[in-house]
Amino acid sequence: MRGAAMRRHCWPMNAGPATPAADSPVTASRRRILARTRLDFWLDALLLVAYTLAYSLGFTGIATHEWLGIGLGVVLLVHLTLHWDWVIRTTRKLLRRGGRERFVWLVNLLLLLSMTLCIASGILISEVALPELGITPAAGSFWRQMHDTTATLTLILVPIHAALDWRWVVGVARRFAAWRPGRSR
Amino acid sequence: MKFLRHLAAVVLVVAVIVGLGVLWAHTSGGAGPRPAPSPEALLRLEQIKEQIKTGVIRVRSDNGFQLADTGNLIRTCEIEAVLAVAVITVSVVRRRRHRTRRTTARA
Repeated sequence: MRGAAMRRHCWPMNAGPATPAADSPVTASRRRILARTRLDFWLDALLLVAYTLAYSLGFTGIATHEWLGIGLGVVLLVHLTLHWDWVIRTTRKLLRRGGRERFVWLVNLLLLLSMTLCIASGILISEVALPELGITPAAGSFWRQMHDTTATLTLILVPIHAALDWRWVVGVARRFAAWRPGRSR
Repeated sequence: MKFLRHLAAVVLVVAVIVGLGVLWAHTSGGAGPRPAPSPEALLRLEQIKEQIKTGVIRVRSDNGFQLADTGNLIRTCEIEAVLAVAVITVSVVRRRRHRTRRTTARA
């Protein structure tokens, strides 16, 4: 969940020279923004890869699938927390914003609902992970069906969510590619 | 501090969504425990267990990555790639149209 303001956080990778002046408040602020952009990028990439693997049950096997799902839940909480400002800002300005912003907001809301219900239902029908922790969930077919439906819905929404911000992704990836640790920080 | 405040808000939202899901399960009558298996099902289960013991049925270990079964993973990646490409194409086309319209208006 990144809006226009979040995209502005995308500073050049060579922002902030490694000199004594690096301690100035402006450079410190740039560094913080740069670190935040990096965190956003890698966390989003991790979520995408983890979801792709978790959805491929035939490839991962049930145990890896379940542990990945639980891990996804934790990373999703962090992802949402990091973008909470965007959620509040966009929700408040929803009526004033254009069609694209509304569409992005709607996709993100649907993704939040489907992914949350997918992970929650997955925990409730767990066959390996929770029993290993000594918890025996006793959910019925409702949750199994809910898990299948929300997982498919999430599979559709995840690439849409990622692709809606493809300019940001390409911009950050380009800067990472151009970044040299010895040259700048 | 800000992070913790936001985390609390997120946890609250997630709890509300899960709560609504549980409510939905209750109203649709699907929240109860799994029904006990029928005697026929139990008998079939015993037969399957016996067949596994004697080697009639081969059981694949399901506790790790099945590297041989990449077809499943490739299909997931294909679905995601197709959808992402579609969204990016629409975005590029819309942007170009918008730019052309703006240029025409200026001219």
